Amino acid sequence: MFDPLAPQGRLAVAALVLALLVLPLVWHDTYVLHLVILSMIFGAFAVAWNLATGFAGLKTFGHHAFFGIGAYFSALVSKDFEITPWITAPVAGLVAACAGLVVALPVLRIRSVPHVAMVTLGFAEIVRVLLTVFRETTRGEMGLWGIPAFDGFTLPVIGEVVFNAAEKVPYYYVAALLFLGTVYATVRMVKSPVGLALVAIRDSQDAAESLGINLTRYKLLVFSASAFAVGLLGAFYAHYILLLTPSSVLGLDLMILVIGMTLIGGVGTLFGPILGAFVLTIGVEAMRGVGEYRMLIYGALIVIVVMFMPRGLVALLDGLGPRFGFGRGVRLATSDDAPRPG
Amino acid sequence: MTLTLFLEQIVNGIILGSMYAIMGAGLALIYGTMRILNFAHGEFYMLGGFFVFFLFAQQGLNPVPAVIIAVAGVALVAAIVQRLTVHVLLKREGWAFSTIAATLGVSIFLQNLALALWGERFQSVPYFVDGLLQVGEFRLPWQRVLIFVVAVAVMGVMAYVLRYTRFGWAVRATAQDPEAAAVVGVPAARIHTMTFALGAALAAVAAALLAPVFAVNPWMGLPLIIKAFVVVVLGGLGSFPGAIAGGFLLGIVEAVGITLTSSEWRDVIAFGMMILFLWVRPWGLFGVKER
Repeated sequence: MFDPLAPQGRLAVAALVLALLVLPLVWHDTYVLHLVILSMIFGAFAVAWNLATGFAGLKTFGHHAFFGIGAYFSALVSKDFEITPWITAPVAGLVAACAGLVVALPVLRIRSVPHVAMVTLGFAEIVRVLLTVFRETTRGEMGLWGIPAFDGFTLPVIGEVVFNAAEKVPYYYVAALLFLGTVYATVRMVKSPVGLALVAIRDSQDAAESLGINLTRYKLLVFSASAFAVGLLGAFYAHYILLLTPSSVLGLDLMILVIGMTLIGGVGTLFGPILGAFVLTIGVEAMRGVGEYRMLIYGALIVIVVMFMPRGLVALLDGLGPRFGFGRGVRLATSDDAPRPG
Repeated sequence: MTLTLFLEQIVNGIILGSMYAIMGAGLALIYGTMRILNFAHGEFYMLGGFFVFFLFAQQGLNPVPAVIIAVAGVALVAAIVQRLTVHVLLKREGWAFSTIAATLGVSIFLQNLALALWGERFQSVPYFVDGLLQVGEFRLPWQRVLIFVVAVAVMGVMAYVLRYTRFGWAVRATAQDPEAAAVVGVPAARIHTMTFALGAALAAVAAALLAPVFAVNPWMGLPLIIKAFVVVVLGGLGSFPGAIAGGFLLGIVEAVGITLTSSEWRDVIAFGMMILFLWVRPWGLFGVKER
């Protein structure tokens, strides 16, 4: 079932990666680069969320908590203790992973989809409110600014690399590294025996357990791995945007955005969330003319996709599927859908 | 902190708790019959607030017909939403997640529709009744007394309807087993739609009563739906009496909590309590243990 990168598909993937890597060399428009950077951040976020939700079947609605934790941790530590973001960002990922374990603990005991949705959402809301309440440190909704950018360095051939607001290219490559790294790690995980175990858990927890799959271990693993990636992305976001507010990195809006991207692209597929993130980030910008109606259209789009295209946009690529090996075979159902009454 | 002030806080907590109870009861009713978590519940609350604002504050209608029309209007919108989305999705595989996703989409849609139609201004609705109830040093606005009285009346009527009317029997039969209910002639699909509308109507009642206390705006539903989630977790998802008990419990705990700390901690207390509950008793106070 999992053959996302069939041999024939490798060529297409290589072409896409190459296009992504040469883009800043041929197109210098700062705004375009900014859009692609955001697409990559949200794309990787969606991929990480989809790992927990689409593959392991843990339907969480609180992953923005990890994004916010990563962003605030890295920003505050690098700012207040003057430690380089190159160190604080990965540490922020680890902190988010630990938070992921904390959230996973109650989730281990609950199987009902609504309960998991509420506990994860509740956790994220707690984090958001705490960051708002401790405003001596975080400045709350006033916004945390003065976050240090990444330190520059000198590369042998290219010369000096500096990170500042005007120069997007270095950020672009860091974002590309995070994006491709997340996608690569996810692909490797999904294609490995671990991935099979996750899908088995999604399809039937009881059957998986009876086959000797350690539910606790795999759920903790997938939660912390996914939280690590999201926390790292949050940290990058903090040092890229350089301004944080609890509502911008911890609002439910952010989670809805990522959920929408994944659903519209195709939940439970490898390529879907990426496609969704790029289409929506760039599409929403293209719809700037309709300005305030963007979120209106967004909400309608989610409903329409859920109703009429439950497999998402990647289903449209299915014609190309066998040739390019794009995501196939999505299944939203899990045995843990609470039994219909009776 | 004087005793009177503390008492006032507790009474306010109970009154706010009665509103949480009504919100939660709507959510619980919908979950109980259809097993779906309605993420758009907060937006039905928001619509109720706006409808009351238009009818009462703008058109100057008498509050009683204004609230009744507003609640009926929200019920109608909810019935349409249910027919177009949930009704269809319930027949498919994976409905537990897809209904959440769909109602989440509906929630964003309605929120932004309200923003586009009615703007982002915070609209205020005047009190339905003026004046203060004063007993010794203890003071309470009549509006809050009204909130409590109406809330208790609504709960009583709902309990009666569920227990003693044919509609109530049909709802409970469908909740227990839609197929068996259909065999004995209960139109399960229609009951689903009606229950969904009824649940949304309860949210609209809460909105109508709270509109004069909190301002009316497109985002007013979000804090309330999250509180409603806490309530149904405390009471046990799908349990009507559980939601009532959970609502009052949450209102009182929040009131005590914020007198001990500060009002900023209100939400931390609420969500902390929810996560604690999910940890030790995921099926809630009144729910049945089910995996």
